[in-house]
Amino acid sequence: MLKIIIPTIMLMPLTWLSKKNMIWINTTTYSLLISLISLSLLNQPNNNSLNFSLMFFSDPLSAPLLVLTTWLLPLMLMASQHHLSKEPLIRKKLYITMLAMLQTFLIMTFTATELISFYILFEATLVPTLIIITRWGNQTERLNAGLYFLFYTLVGSLPLLVALISIQSLTGSLHFLLIQYWNQALPDSWSNIFLWLACMMAFMVKMPLYGLHLWLPKAHVEAPIAGSMVLAAILLKLGGYGMLRITMMLNPQTNFMAYPFLMLSLWGMIMTSSICLRQTDLKSLIAYSSVSHMALVIVAVLIQTPWSYMGATALMIAHGLTSSMLFCLANSNYERTHSRTMILARGLQTLLPLMAAWWLLASLTNLALPPSINLIGELFVVMSSFSWSNITIILMGANITITALYSLYMLITTQRGKYTHHINSIKPSFTRENALMALHMTPLLLLSLNPKIILGFTY
Amino acid sequence: MNPLILTIILMTVFLGTMIVMASSHWLMIWIGFEMNLLAIIPILMKKYNPRAMEASTKYFLTQATASMLLMMAIIINLMHSGQWTITKVFNPTASIIMTLALAMKLGLTPFHFWVPEVTQGISLTSGLILLTWQKLAPMSILYQISPSINLNILLTMAVLSILVGGWGGLNQTQLRKIMAYSSIAHMGWMTAILVYNPTLTMLNMLIYIMMTLTMFMLFIHSSSTTTLSLSHTWNKAPLITTLILITLLSMGGLPPLSGFMPKWMIIQELTKNSSIILPTLMAIMALLNLYFYTRLTYSTSLTMFPSTNNMKMKWQFETKQITLLPPLIIASSLLLPLTPMLSILD
Repeated sequence: MLKIIIPTIMLMPLTWLSKKNMIWINTTTYSLLISLISLSLLNQPNNNSLNFSLMFFSDPLSAPLLVLTTWLLPLMLMASQHHLSKEPLIRKKLYITMLAMLQTFLIMTFTATELISFYILFEATLVPTLIIITRWGNQTERLNAGLYFLFYTLVGSLPLLVALISIQSLTGSLHFLLIQYWNQALPDSWSNIFLWLACMMAFMVKMPLYGLHLWLPKAHVEAPIAGSMVLAAILLKLGGYGMLRITMMLNPQTNFMAYPFLMLSLWGMIMTSSICLRQTDLKSLIAYSSVSHMALVIVAVLIQTPWSYMGATALMIAHGLTSSMLFCLANSNYERTHSRTMILARGLQTLLPLMAAWWLLASLTNLALPPSINLIGELFVVMSSFSWSNITIILMGANITITALYSLYMLITTQRGKYTHHINSIKPSFTRENALMALHMTPLLLLSLNPKIILGFTY
Repeated sequence: MNPLILTIILMTVFLGTMIVMASSHWLMIWIGFEMNLLAIIPILMKKYNPRAMEASTKYFLTQATASMLLMMAIIINLMHSGQWTITKVFNPTASIIMTLALAMKLGLTPFHFWVPEVTQGISLTSGLILLTWQKLAPMSILYQISPSINLNILLTMAVLSILVGGWGGLNQTQLRKIMAYSSIAHMGWMTAILVYNPTLTMLNMLIYIMMTLTMFMLFIHSSSTTTLSLSHTWNKAPLITTLILITLLSMGGLPPLSGFMPKWMIIQELTKNSSIILPTLMAIMALLNLYFYTRLTYSTSLTMFPSTNNMKMKWQFETKQITLLPPLIIASSLLLPLTPMLSILD
């Protein structure tokens, strides 16, 4: 594991010591090399986890998330080149340092064995993200967005710290591998109900659950492109990953404690999808679409069946790639028109046809078109929730329809129709942007050929 | 001030605290406290204006009252145990009175009212000595009598201090008052764990002193006492803004900075002793503290407010030399990975 962590830490001296015309080249190249190394983790031979040391391990759940994290760093660097081009050199280096620091913490979080170490690194990812949102965002609202982001997550996760420490003092160890084997049912009592709540709320806020999702549209909209990409693709999945790990310890309370959150998620996914139909701000639409997809993941994790875990894992990876790609596409619009309003940049297919192809592919994967992995994830979740209770099929079906509606709404508004008269002087697509979209889309399409590597540990 | 006189006065302050920390006779402790108090008054009044005189008077009155209460507790202890040695205080009345006296000296709620006003009225360097050095002596006495302290009173004062320290700092723009409320809150954390594991009190004190030293030295370097003047440091010394960001987030207790270590250890000790609601409540109230630190970082390092052209040229006095700033910065932000070393303290 150190073969991934130490090169990522060394990306920071790399940026500070590079020459002015080499910073982007150096960092993007080396982060691509690191992501190549991480691909070897996908080879998980047997049902056990690969244990690298006492502190780091990787398992069929964390390996795809890890590969996604390392894959996304070069893409974030490529996407940030344009909006940072006018900044002084030191600020560019600071930005890349923040991204590298965030990457280090994320890699260590996904591979941590001890749950308290997981907690510390989970919280540690907040600091670079806060700095990226607040320092490099564009509107005044970014201050409020940073505060909401920080405080929602912290209020949710401080009870988690207390809960983890109390579990450790009662059972002796929080090492993940030990917990798997001598896990026993939690006795039924009021304090164990609060323990369940304390453990889960941190991840519910991070996912986010429908009632606690207020930070997400603010943070996603105000963040610069790299911040939006990492928030949507990885940080939300931290919540999903944490929930998948910690529900193992929380039976049998989950059988009845999960009901309120299931109801909130089932209702919330329809509400947030419907809100997407009425959004004028493009990034806000993609942010609410993230809430809707993550609500599906919450439903899957709380049902706790093998198929739902497969669906949750596949959906997390698929949504990470799709959502990040949609943010890159929205950013390419923003860099040209300096506005996030959708109707101000219509009819782009006439002006930028290749970008329209990427918009089409991204929208199609967002609405879970077969045979993409988005479909595999959603289908598994729908099937397992149907087996849990037949009525959920109505809500799930409605959600899939509304998802298709807003994805196509987004596609048609930005791409089709007559272009507006004021945007006929935009710059054509850069090769960098096309490469960015291709690098998002290629893993997505290739994974449809072999989805079993992202189906998690219940495959 | 004449350097010779300043040296003598500072040595007396130092000697007073040392006498308190090192003696085994209750009377010597009281003498140490009085020596400390009388010698620090001229330091608080270094800038001779009415505000500083008011601050020194308030400090003198509260500390003298506390010393008298301490003396009464000592005499009651003498009456009931017949000896002057420092051990745990056997008589409950004496113990309660002594705890209240030491809380008054430290600035715990409900005796916290003097801290913001005194800290605001004095210069930054005097405020530094007030908030760091002056806390050592009462804390060492609390450490020594910790087996006999009444838990109810101490925990009530601790939780109320964290609440007051968090809530009171929300409406402040003066940096010295912000540091004063931060000191009240941190004292609350320190005294909450005193009965369960006094070593963690000392750990928290150490890390708190390092972080407060760093903050004050950064303020002294940029000669800023208000949020407004702190927000101009991007112009004068941009590196200071990054350091302020890191240190403030560390004071707020965010991982992975070292300010998280005392909070984590205290929560761990409290939880192991089967109190669960208390550390949760304390941790959430510490978020109030984090709010106003984050707000301070917003105006200093994370944004650049629109400023008119003539504000960009700040008066450049000769750069004050800050001793020990780099090691202090490292100590106040990077110590978290060393947490497993705390096992040597057992």
